[in-house]
Amino acid sequence: MNHIKLLFFATIRDRAGTKSMEMDIPADMTILQLKEKLGIDHPNLKESMKSVLVTINREYAFDEAVVPSNAEIALFPPVSGG
Amino acid sequence: MQTSNFPTIYSITESEIDLNDLLAKITLTSTGAAAIFTGMVRGVTSRGEAHETEYLEYESYIPMAEAKMKQVADEIREKWPIVEGIAIVQRIGKLYPKTPTVLIACTAAHRNTGVFDAARYGIDRLKEIVPVWKKEVGPDGQEWVEGDYIPKPGE
Repeated sequence: MNHIKLLFFATIRDRAGTKSMEMDIPADMTILQLKEKLGIDHPNLKESMKSVLVTINREYAFDEAVVPSNAEIALFPPVSGG
Repeated sequence: MQTSNFPTIYSITESEIDLNDLLAKITLTSTGAAAIFTGMVRGVTSRGEAHETEYLEYESYIPMAEAKMKQVADEIREKWPIVEGIAIVQRIGKLYPKTPTVLIACTAAHRNTGVFDAARYGIDRLKEIVPVWKKEVGPDGQEWVEGDYIPKPGE
């Protein structure tokens, strides 16, 4: 199992009801599988997982990427700074 | 050209954006021009769906945002090697109409060097890849503003 930290921002944080959480996941889990798991564990997030952006250790990551151990994963909507 | 001596400033801040201070920091003895873009909270919007804004509440994934601002500055230097100083600052927190929220400034020896384009690229790119979000609060309630850019691998 891999231990990871999750961070949520903006709409995703509102729907998750928390800024962050820690969890243990299988060592070969991909971003796509992680999103599916979050949608099942937290039904409020299910709809958001279709369009969410994901980062691994502060770099944008995509569905097929495998989540490394001790990763800092962030989930958020498309950015709207400026 | 001693690129390594060229100042690059990038930060997420809760403090007021001080244009004069930033400009002084990116002005070298060889500098003769600065292109500055700043955005502010618009209280009354008429383009598109007309509405009023009481305030915007900004939040950021700060360590990643500052890393991505540095990446934007690196991209500017790659495309416009004539650019001397670069400042990229995003203010976060609760910000009211007329308040500056973001500033991108690029300096160069002369104005006809692409320095205007460099500053424009900076703000466009910030709005694509720097993780900052704003919630708009108005008389009819509040709503997160969502962008539409999906970063590609390597961004």
